[in-house]
Amino acid sequence: MASSKKAVKAAKPVKSKPKVTTSPKARAAARPLPPDVVNADPTLFDPLTPGEIADALRTLTEDRRLGSMAKVGRYRVICTEPLVVKPPHWMAGHRLVRVVVYDYAADRAVDACVDLDAGVVAHLDLSRGQPMLSRDEEAIAVSIAMVDERVRDKLALGDAPQSTLHYWGRTPADLAYARRSAAVVFGRADGHATVIAVVDLLENIVTQVVPAELW
Amino acid sequence: MSNVITEANWKVHWRLTESAGIMIYLADYRGRRVLWEASLPYVTIDHQRETLDVKDDPGEVHGPWWIPLGTRTLQGPVRVQAFRGGIELSAAFAAGPYHYTQLWRFHDDGRLCPWLTIYGPGVHDQHTYHPHWRFDFDLDGARDDAFERFEDARWQRVEREGWFPYSGEADEHGNVWRQIDVGSGAAITIRPHSWDDAEVFAIRYHDGEWAPYSPRNAAGSATFPSAYVGDEPLDGDDVTLWYVAHVHFDQSFPYTAGPWVKISGFGG
Repeated sequence: MASSKKAVKAAKPVKSKPKVTTSPKARAAARPLPPDVVNADPTLFDPLTPGEIADALRTLTEDRRLGSMAKVGRYRVICTEPLVVKPPHWMAGHRLVRVVVYDYAADRAVDACVDLDAGVVAHLDLSRGQPMLSRDEEAIAVSIAMVDERVRDKLALGDAPQSTLHYWGRTPADLAYARRSAAVVFGRADGHATVIAVVDLLENIVTQVVPAELW
Repeated sequence: MSNVITEANWKVHWRLTESAGIMIYLADYRGRRVLWEASLPYVTIDHQRETLDVKDDPGEVHGPWWIPLGTRTLQGPVRVQAFRGGIELSAAFAAGPYHYTQLWRFHDDGRLCPWLTIYGPGVHDQHTYHPHWRFDFDLDGARDDAFERFEDARWQRVEREGWFPYSGEADEHGNVWRQIDVGSGAAITIRPHSWDDAEVFAIRYHDGEWAPYSPRNAAGSATFPSAYVGDEPLDGDDVTLWYVAHVHFDQSFPYTAGPWVKISGFGG
């Protein structure tokens, strides 16, 4: 033990190495900034490039936890947006993508955070929640409503689809209470709404046709 | 066009989102951080039947609906315009019979106006709009925040998450809610529009809780943001606020909903 103490003492001359010339201020400036919201990188909020979106979707569909969804292939990508988490979260400073998908085969929402820097799905949430409609779903709802006989019977000359909204029923008596649904609003060119068709996107059928004034 | 505004004592970044209108982020006032991000995640609409006879009133038969304000509903460009004493961002959105103009106005005296002008006929007259704003204020840093509401003639600290409707009581300036940075004493106060029938949800910040991309939760579950409300403590932590207005079409339209937000304790 004693000899080891001496060995420690012998190491003292190391301290007397030539002094570092940089001042404490300069050293502090050279040190990376501590993670803090004040020092956040604004470029992390920038819109995703097409390549980043493709990268995120590839990473997501290759994730083993979503193997069945990718294999069956009955899903819609609802949204891809940049996601920025705050320090001191370990992913702060990473380029992250929030990907929201609706998996029709399992009737569930997939909400994922893909870390593009690490090339992994960093967070995955599967739920019965209902994300907004994708543009594809809006277009499908319109095409289903347009060929439905009950809808066509109610349309007047010049009526056309005006917009497609994400709709859900208020009570369990309404099919749209638990099922993914869209409401297609038809109307005249002057903006006046005339007919509303509710489309069940799981079965691809029109479930309600309602004159706009009775909605 | 640059997505950074440096004017009227503000430095603000902005971008157009897919579903939450124009989002502003990393906003500084007089060189100090005020806000991490703020957006308009959704505007839901529900309908009532046109009957004055209570006996015949079936209540609200249909549930609500919504369409995202964002890239797919944008009409024309996002505009950045100076006005006397400040600068504003604005964008028009349209979805069938619903029309909106979203505004973010930044005043050089520290006021911020997140507003939404609502117009368009709707599918019939009996409908109500529910614009939802989400604010993640980070006054002088993310943590060490406190949330208070004006009640019983004084500001009262709120210890836990919750839903705080406007009861009609406000301080001498009309402010009803405020978020304070305990360390620096800086604060943001929120004054609702008197016809907004407004409410605020105060929620502890969690990474990734933005954006749900829908107010719609699972069938039978509470919608967002109420589904976020739990029993977590707020005092001394990082707080997120949701301001929700309820605007019935009966009111004179167009109608501009949204609060006045004022920053104080930043000097100048």
